[in-house]
Order: sequence, then structure tokens, then C-alpha cells
Amino acid sequence: MQEYEGIADYAISYGLKQGFDYVEAYLESGGSFSYSRKQGNPNSSYKSKYSGIRLRLIKKGSLYTYSTNIISKERIKEAFKFSGFKGEKVGLSEEKAEKYSYKVKERIKVEDSYESAVKDVEELDKSLNGLAYRSISISLGKYENLFVNSEGSRVYGEIPYISSFILIIVKDANDSRQKLIQLGNTGGYEVFKWEEIRENVEEEINSLKKVLKEGISLSKSQINGIKNVVASSEIIGIAVHESIGHPLEADRVFGREAAQAGTSYLMPSNLGLKIGSKEVNIFDDPTIKNSYGFFLYDEEGVKARKKQLVKKGIQNELLLNREYAKALGTKSNASSRSDFYSNEPIIRMSNTYLEKGKADFEELISEAKNGIYIKSFTEWNIDDTRSFARYQGNEAYIIKNGDIEKPVKNYKLEKSTFDFWSSVYLLGNDFNLYAGTCGKGEPQQGVPVMHGGPSALLKFGGK
Amino acid sequence: MEPSDILKILKDEGFDEAVVSTSSTRSIYIKIANSKVDSIVEKKNERGRLFVSKEKKVAFSNIERPDKQSIKLAIGNLKQAINIAEPKPDYYGIAEGPFKYRSNFIFDKKISEISIEEASEIANQAISEFDVENIAGTLHLSSYTYSIATTKRVEASTMGTEARLSLRIFKNGFSMQDYIASRQLKEINLSKIKNSISMLEYANGTGKVKSGKYDIIYMRSPAGLLFSNVNDMACIDSVEMGSFLSNKLGDKIANRDLSIYDDGSIESGIDSSPFDEEGYPTQRTPIIKNGILKSYLHNYSTAKKYNTKSTGNAGLVNPSPNTMVLYHRKKKSLEKLISSIDKGIIVTNTWYTRFSNYLKGDFSTVPRDLAIYVEKGSPKFVIKNLGSSFGIGIRISDNILRMLEKTTSVVNDTTQSTSWDSDSYYYTPSVLVEEVNISTV
Repeated sequence: MQEYEGIADYAISYGLKQGFDYVEAYLESGGSFSYSRKQGNPNSSYKSKYSGIRLRLIKKGSLYTYSTNIISKERIKEAFKFSGFKGEKVGLSEEKAEKYSYKVKERIKVEDSYESAVKDVEELDKSLNGLAYRSISISLGKYENLFVNSEGSRVYGEIPYISSFILIIVKDANDSRQKLIQLGNTGGYEVFKWEEIRENVEEEINSLKKVLKEGISLSKSQINGIKNVVASSEIIGIAVHESIGHPLEADRVFGREAAQAGTSYLMPSNLGLKIGSKEVNIFDDPTIKNSYGFFLYDEEGVKARKKQLVKKGIQNELLLNREYAKALGTKSNASSRSDFYSNEPIIRMSNTYLEKGKADFEELISEAKNGIYIKSFTEWNIDDTRSFARYQGNEAYIIKNGDIEKPVKNYKLEKSTFDFWSSVYLLGNDFNLYAGTCGKGEPQQGVPVMHGGPSALLKFGGK
Repeated sequence: MEPSDILKILKDEGFDEAVVSTSSTRSIYIKIANSKVDSIVEKKNERGRLFVSKEKKVAFSNIERPDKQSIKLAIGNLKQAINIAEPKPDYYGIAEGPFKYRSNFIFDKKISEISIEEASEIANQAISEFDVENIAGTLHLSSYTYSIATTKRVEASTMGTEARLSLRIFKNGFSMQDYIASRQLKEINLSKIKNSISMLEYANGTGKVKSGKYDIIYMRSPAGLLFSNVNDMACIDSVEMGSFLSNKLGDKIANRDLSIYDDGSIESGIDSSPFDEEGYPTQRTPIIKNGILKSYLHNYSTAKKYNTKSTGNAGLVNPSPNTMVLYHRKKKSLEKLISSIDKGIIVTNTWYTRFSNYLKGDFSTVPRDLAIYVEKGSPKFVIKNLGSSFGIGIRISDNILRMLEKTTSVVNDTTQSTSWDSDSYYYTPSVLVEEVNISTV
């Protein structure tokens, strides 16, 4: 990275001389090792290294992003031939020029852990005998980035990470159940607690087998008749991500993603909308240590902070970059990210969650009295405006007279966003975050995120 | 440096086999939002990739950029990766060349040389053609050169271009999205999108539908998006997972008039190439022919494992599909297809297709834009089960094997299409699928 710093600085000075209103340069360099196994056998290993530069320029209000892996003065000069276009005129919010450098600490460096990762994955794989199918992949890497702009910001970050996908499938003569588990953290190799991972995977397998063997199927009218739902933190997490985080991205609200990742029930005309019950407080926080969505500065050099998206059921902050902060006459809250140096940074979530409450899990179940406990999901989807979602239960149980009873094979939690969040009645005192890869933009960019919260009792049809 | 030069260096490192590929790409993305050109992204990259095997161990590395230092680093990374790797018992090598390749793939110099100013003018021209409330979309123009050399006497290169215009039109409270895609810029004319948008004329009122079974006409883009899952699940590694196509070779799994192919050899196909990732020539492979499951998709190694021939679908470790092509013997005009429906829905776009069960083929997907209720052969109203501005509020739940059987006729409107939700292209007409489960908000 150091060898290219001069090129980034050159880009700023050259761009200003060429009469550009704003110039920023983002250098990124990284490397990773990936390894995968299928059905008990090794599949492939991949070691990679990359670096590149991205310039974002504004001329006469026109926004242009240029990226290349040929980091030379000659190559980047090409970008400054840009002369503007007929179209949107962009302005950026005024922000403090930041000078900061940070590195995420690693007790065990990821680059010293490739052989350990292979061994740990192999051990996990071998412990999963007896499934219809299993595959495991792991990726360990580190990237560093340097952001400089024509306003004097200079921010350097170095972030190691580990991620893994585990697919397990169980079946009997008539049916099958599947689960894709995604894991992800930032930090050294020590952040992956393999004993816990093995226990969790075993628990998932046992649950799939239990539902496969003992699960009952409910009729449509039985499903429609269920009023009280205890949703686990996994269900709450995906709902927070899909029906709160995404629709509160300012670029959606203002129509910039209309042909790509979609629109939103929230519009410039209904900001401050009541979305849920007063129990609902939802945050996005990239500063959570070792989280998969971690960063301390975003890709516009703005200092990251915890944002409250929903406050007592009312939409509070939007996720903002400098462009939309300017449009709203406020400051950016550092939500500008890309998945790779070559793509434009756009407004993204980081770690998004529902604030936990005080109730024990048993209290949620007994308060529900009769209903359903939905512990995990498999398929899920949501409409363009983020108003109508479905979470297909992978593991769900009947609640009868305040006790958890038989597993259910086919429960679907299919509700409007407002019905879902308005029905939040009681929050658990547990809390979990789940790793995910969030897609948006064109070309689609997948950025690491987390989503979660506590278990919660939802009472549909009133208290 | 050419792949053959890098291959010479790799040969001295003691690997059993090696594949070297290099590419040079230029891409322009012009984002359209709120009826304006919003912003422009231009990318220029020159990269490479290495694959080697040794005593049944396989490993990959990438070449950061085409200079000696990066190549040296890449080889060092490769050695580390293969030293850590363990033997892959079911690995049987790469394809033995040399091969003869087709050379008629279209390369449009206009795309490769287009300036940012010219590209933004095309986008602005597209915006000005529509008298509507709002247009959003993307104009994507890209060009590439790709070269490959292997230790099994393959040395080849190809070039390609891509022009894609996606537009989402908002009018009278409804939205409609369509795509034009080609290897040639001159084919990016707006008549096809205008034709699709004309469906907005059916939007002469709104109404709600109830949960239940409906005959569905999927227009090209959602049809391609859904049926391309067949090609994904025909890849042999998915079959080994137990996909809904497993253990069904030779079985009747679809309507007898339906055929689905994997084809990497279409000269106008954006995803087409003369050869796959190990240099094996691409071809047209029937996956389903007249309702019968005919073939899975293989690279050389997986084909050898199953005592069959490569279908030109490398992926060096796992096969990957080329372009999905759907044929149906019963073709009608859209009007005639609509008139044959007693109770149905025209679905113009879907997204978030998710499988709850890969083995059985159960999935759900969500209509994203204009969905029109059809009754007794006539479009009746635009479905609006949600109160919010562009929300529709219905969801499709189906099983892909059932869907294959119940695809009873198609429209004669096949063209190359894609979707925001997909990273590939497909040639498919609009299709009629009978008795599909719909749930509502």
C-alpha cells in the first residue's frame, strides 16, 4: 500500500489543477486464503492478492467514479479527461477533514492461520458424518485502505476478517431439510471459536432431524389463525435487515436505487413515519468490535458512529452518505461503503439490530400462551417497497398453554412490515448478531453485515 | 506477458498441470435515477488467474496485474496454497487439447472505444424517449479480451463486448422494468422496451386478488430468472448435492413440448465464449429435451468421473452454466395466450427467488413490477394488494418440477434477457405456467 500513497496524493493535486470541484482517491490492497470441502473431501484452495485505486471526481456537479488496478500516474490521468454530463448535479455535505489511522488487532494473525483453518475445517467436516449432504468453505483475509480527498482528509484502516459458509442437508425417505449457516467476523483467527461453531452446527443438525422426523404440517387456516408469535433473534435479525435497514437507506428513499435494489415505503414526504410499537428501537452500528460489518471510518472518510434508525417505533435517522446528507441539510452518518475498490461506494448497512428488552425466554413463551415459536428460517423474501415479507420457518414449534410442544414443518411468517413491527409486544433479554452478505447496486455489491436482536413476542391482532 | 509465457515459468515449478488465463476489461456503468443521468462509473482492469494440480491436489491464485513482480508473487501464493491443500480424490485432470474453436463471436469496436460523453448521450437519449413520471435504470457498456494457455496444449484467446440497457418506468402509479442486451451497440434500440412498456396500457384500474391458484404468464425476464435455476441445478456438483434433478436422467420431468438447453456457443450471446475455463470448446447441451432430462453439465474432470464427455462448462473445480435457452413447441401471440386464461396473472418482473428445499425444488419469489389480473381471457386490473405507492403485495410459491410440467405454452417473443437479480443472460420467451400458488398480504 505504502508504495502507492504518492499516486493517491498526486491524483488529488492533479485533479485540483485540472479544475475539478472535488477529488478523492481510495487505495485498497488485500489478500486472502480460501479453502473448501464437500461431502468429507477437499474441494479447492485459493490464495489471492489484489490492489487497486478508485477516484471519485465531481466536475460541474457531475459525479464520476474511475477505478483501475494499474496504479500509475499515467493511468489515473485518464480519469481527469472527464468533462461532466447532462444530468444530476451532486453536492456533498460539509464534513470535518479527518486524519486517522487504525488497525484491527489480531492475537493470531490471519496470514499465519491458513494451515490451522484447513485443519479446523477438516475436523468439523469429519464430525458431520451421516448427513445427506454437507459442504464447508472458509476464507481468511486482510485488507488495508487509504482514503484521501481534496478537503484534507487522510484515513488509513487495516481490517482482518474470517468468513465461512456451512451447508447441511438431512433427509429421509419422503422429505428433506436444509440449512445454510454463514459465519463472519473481523479480527484475528482467534475470533472463530471452533468449539462453539461445532456445537452450534450439531444443534442445527439435531433440530433439522427433529423437525424432519416429528414435524407436523399445519393447514393454511391454522397458520392464518396464529396470533401470537415468539420470533427468535435470527428471525428478528433478518426482519430488521430487510424491512428496516434497507428501506431506511437514503438513496432508496430518494429513488437512486429504483431500478436496482428497489424503492422504499419511506419517501421524502413521509419521513418520521410510525413503523412499529413503542418497544421498537433499532440501531445500525459499525463500531462493534469484531463484528462482520465493522469499520471506524466509511469510504468518504467520515467517522463512523452508532445510528438510531427507529426510536420507540418512529423512523428516526436515515442511513446517509455525504450526497444525501447534503440533500437533507445535515451531516453524513458514515454509511458509504463498497465491496471492492473497483465499485462505487453507496449507502449500506453495517451491523443492524433491534435493542433487547428484559424478559426471559420462558416469559415470552408463557406470555404467548398459545401460538408459535419460530426459531430459524430458510427461504425469505420481500417486495420492492419493503412492505411485505415472508420468513419460511425452518425450525418452529407449537406453543400450547405456555409450553413449547411439537415441531412444525411448514410455518410461514408472512406479514406486512407495519403489521410485523406494530405487533412487537415484549422483548427478550437475549441478544445475537448473525453474519450476512448484503446485495445492492449495479453491478451488485455484496458487503459484509450483521443483523440481529433479542427474541421477541409479537401479538398480531392486538393485545 | 502472454499466458503462454507465464505457463513456461510454471512448468519449471513441478506442477502436474496448469491453466493460465489473463484478461483486460473496460466497463462503463451509467446510472439513471429520477429521470436523469445520476452518475458514471468507469473501470479498467488487467488481471490473471492461475490454476495448478499436483498429485490430485488443486489450487488457484490470481495475478494482481500483468508485471513480472505480480506473477512471481502469484506463483509464490500458488505454491503455498497447494502445499496446504490435500488431494481431491475425485479430481481427474484438465482437458487435453488442441481444440478447434468457432470464431464468429461478435465484437463491437464501437463499444470498446466509446467515450464517456458518447455513452452519457445514449443514456440521455433513452430518458428523453419516454413521456412518463419517472425513469430509473442503468446503461452498461463493456469490452474484454481473454486469453488462456494450459499444459494440455491449449492456447487460445477471445474478445467480447456487452451493451445492456435496463429501464424501470413509473407511470400513473405503476412500474415496469425491462432490459435490452446485445453484443452490439446498434441493437440497443428502445423499440423492445417501448413494446414492453405498452403493457402499462392494461393498467386501467386497480384491484385486489385473493390467495389461491392462478395461471401465470411470466414475461421474458422473470421466466428466464426462474428457469435458469434448472441450469444451475444441472451442474454436476449441484446434482451431487441432491438437487431436484438428481437421479432423474432419462425421466420425464417437464411438459413434453418443453426443452431447455445450456449453450455457450451462441454468436450473439453475451455470456458466450469459444471455450470454457480449461479451453474445452463450448457447445449446445440439451438438459431437458421434449420433457425428458437428458444431461447434466460437466467439465473434463467431472465428466471423466461419471464416464461421460465434457459439456464445455468448466469451472475448473465445479462446472458452471453458460446461457440458458428455453424452447417450447406451443407458441402463441401474447394476446392469444391471455385470451386462453380463465383466471390468471401476468407477472412482468420478479426478484428474491429463494429455495426452501433444493432437493424438492420448492421456492418462492416476489413480483416486483406491474402484475395484471386476467379473467375470462381479458386483462381486468392491475393488482394492488398493498396501499403503498408501487407495492403489489402478492407472492408466488411453487415447485420447479411442477412448474416444468405445467409450462403449457409460450409467447413467440424470445430474446436475450436478464434481470437485476441475475448475473447471467438467458434466451427465453414469455411462458404460461398453470395453477400457481399465490399468497397475498
